[in-house]
Amino acid sequence: MIELRDLIATTDFNPMIYWVLALLAIPLLSFFSNFFTKSKAPIWATFLLLANTGISFYLAINHWYGDVVSIKGVWFSVGDKILNYSFYLDRLALIMLVLVNGISFLVHLFSIEYMRTDRQKPKYFSYLGLFTFSMLGVILFHNLLLMFVFWELVGLSSFLLIGFWFDKKSAALAANKAFLVNRIGDVGLLTGLMILYSQFQTFDLEAIKALMIFSKIEDGNWVAHFTNNGVQVMNTLDGRWLSAAGIALFLGAVGKSAQFPLQVWLPDAMEGPTPVSALIHAATMVAAGVFLLARVFVLLDAQALEIVAMVGAVTAFMAAFAALSQLDIKKVLAYSTISQLGYMVMAMGVGAYSAGLFHLVTHAFFKAGLFLTAGIIIHQLHKLESDTAKFNAQDLRVMGGLRTYMPITFICFVICAFALAGLPGFTGFLSKDAILLNATAWAEIKGGGYYFVPIMAYVTVLFTSIYIFRLVFLVFTREFRLPKMVGDLNIGKRLKEGNWILLGPAIILSILSISVVFGANVKAENTWFMQFIETPIYLVPQAYAAFSLVDLPESTIQGIHNWVSFVSIGLAVGGLVFAYFSYRPISKKALIFQDAPEPRGPLGKLSFYHFYLDGLYEKVFLKFILFNAKSMAWFDKVVIDGIIDGFAKMNVIVAHIVRWFDKYIIDGFVHLTVYTSGRIGHATRSVQSGNVQAYILSAMAILIILLLWLVF
Amino acid sequence: MPIEHLLILGALLFCIGLIVVVTRKNAIAVLIGIELMLNAANINLVVFSQFDPNQLQGQIFVLFIITVAAAEAAVALAIVLKVFHYFKTADLDKINELKG
Repeated sequence: MIELRDLIATTDFNPMIYWVLALLAIPLLSFFSNFFTKSKAPIWATFLLLANTGISFYLAINHWYGDVVSIKGVWFSVGDKILNYSFYLDRLALIMLVLVNGISFLVHLFSIEYMRTDRQKPKYFSYLGLFTFSMLGVILFHNLLLMFVFWELVGLSSFLLIGFWFDKKSAALAANKAFLVNRIGDVGLLTGLMILYSQFQTFDLEAIKALMIFSKIEDGNWVAHFTNNGVQVMNTLDGRWLSAAGIALFLGAVGKSAQFPLQVWLPDAMEGPTPVSALIHAATMVAAGVFLLARVFVLLDAQALEIVAMVGAVTAFMAAFAALSQLDIKKVLAYSTISQLGYMVMAMGVGAYSAGLFHLVTHAFFKAGLFLTAGIIIHQLHKLESDTAKFNAQDLRVMGGLRTYMPITFICFVICAFALAGLPGFTGFLSKDAILLNATAWAEIKGGGYYFVPIMAYVTVLFTSIYIFRLVFLVFTREFRLPKMVGDLNIGKRLKEGNWILLGPAIILSILSISVVFGANVKAENTWFMQFIETPIYLVPQAYAAFSLVDLPESTIQGIHNWVSFVSIGLAVGGLVFAYFSYRPISKKALIFQDAPEPRGPLGKLSFYHFYLDGLYEKVFLKFILFNAKSMAWFDKVVIDGIIDGFAKMNVIVAHIVRWFDKYIIDGFVHLTVYTSGRIGHATRSVQSGNVQAYILSAMAILIILLLWLVF
Repeated sequence: MPIEHLLILGALLFCIGLIVVVTRKNAIAVLIGIELMLNAANINLVVFSQFDPNQLQGQIFVLFIITVAAAEAAVALAIVLKVFHYFKTADLDKINELKG
């Protein structure tokens, strides 16, 4: 019988705890100290993050081949229930540490220049510190409850940074939207936590995994049998709760990673500063959902995984379709992010654990790179804005021909775009290839309707390639459209390449998007990443477990590999060609693009408004919720307030009665007593005249009377 | 001389003293009344000492009383003096601090 107390027992002291705490403390210090550093904030925060990046690199290099570090201890105990904390440093955590710290450092560096003129920059850098702190908390902690705490903190810092320019109404609304939509997902996550806790009586992930192995399916019931502090525990739930737990945990990822149907917050989140979009809404925070899925991967059963795969595929397709027609450079990238996150989630769903994480890492680099280069363009265009020339610096219609003005930015953007489109030689190809391969193999096994998932994935490859090269052609080729639009032909001369603080991070990220970083080969399974991060086997009871792709014979995979690679490259190149013919310098669309209206026609509108999801939610849920809110307000005002008012009124009446009683009955008694004793006092006081002679006289008289009485 | 006459004299003197004490307003007059009452008692003592011809205890006791009365008069007068200083009057009707 497995003993829960042994699983969550405090581990021996491990000096690694100092490194772990330092990793958390440094960004937290950045958060607190930057409220006071004023103009030094950017340098100080960047320095702190550089230190953190150094630590994470040191840890990654030293512990890559070592054992997994697991540190546990008692957090607090309530009665005989012990809640523990635990840190867990496996290769996944190490690589995430390097990724988050590294990109956070690059974004800090980029922000020094990007936010130079902003009055609020100490606040900005301290929020970045808060974000990094909470993200590292999610990565380092291995206890679902503590992960949830940091998960919420990540949501909070995202809210603060989206609404950083809160005097702009749209930014404030977008921040609210992101926060509220994320809450829906978090309710799911919390539900998952509660199901797992009620079954296993612990939040510790390692303990949950161990207990999951020993839980059984008996007569359709999910039975966990173990001892807790020597007492036998037998928790029985209906077997469907096992799937429910997985789906509920996934719902948390749906919110955070912007999956269907909760993806609507991410495009709006682009109201935040562009470096924030790069860090939070492209590279790290939105990947937290995928990270969570990876952490609970082995606890998901077949049914939950199917839903994960479907949702991922649908999201990938929908967002890629929406990205085709956006007119805002950041919106295109935002939809692209949703779409790529859909890939990762889909990979998790089909059981391609390492492929999904691989895509997480490669995507973090190239998407952060795309956002930062877009940031450079927006930043440089902003400088042209004046009282006479007002325009939206994010609008694709004002750009064009920027290749000659910003050659380095152009090269970085194109490299990252190649990676995103999945062309061979760039990281995106490797990870996307691995996902497509696994998804195809998964569908081969399942057959039938499950081909839906890989088909969606392949269509998305085509769309991805089209929208990203559309962006490249519209932004960088032909002529600069702004001068004509604002009627100032000299305005273009003032447009310059960004300085090296802006370019440095973008260059580093685009170098990291070239596939040699992960090994000089064209097959994903030969990269060091895929070889070191291995797909774990499912721990859920056999009857509910999904078929693991690990068990698939090597030959099956090899049989479809070449075919998959060929199709995916073909689709990516096809997209490039399509985009070229639609938006090439001399094409009709490119010539008149400065006047391009918002898309017409059913398909264009469907794409531009992202399947009208926002409108749908507004019409259905928002109206319903507002109606509910209004009726609740009415209920509150009339019924609840009425009851409370009535109660108050009744109280007043009772108080009046009590007052009358007090005044006339209680006080009456008191007054009567006082009056009586007063009268008695008055009656007796005349004896005490103070006249000594009278005393003597009366004494004598009494004496004489006494004598007379004695004698006779 | 019959003993009754002497006792009546004593009683008369006591009554006169008592009336002086009770009726007079002046504190010094009251003191004089007290002296009269003391002397009435002395007369009684002297009268009854004839039944003790050997030792004359009554008469000796009278001598003590006269001595003590002198001391008492001195103390009482000092008190009256103080009272007069304090209240600026020796009228007993005005000195009614004991009034309740």
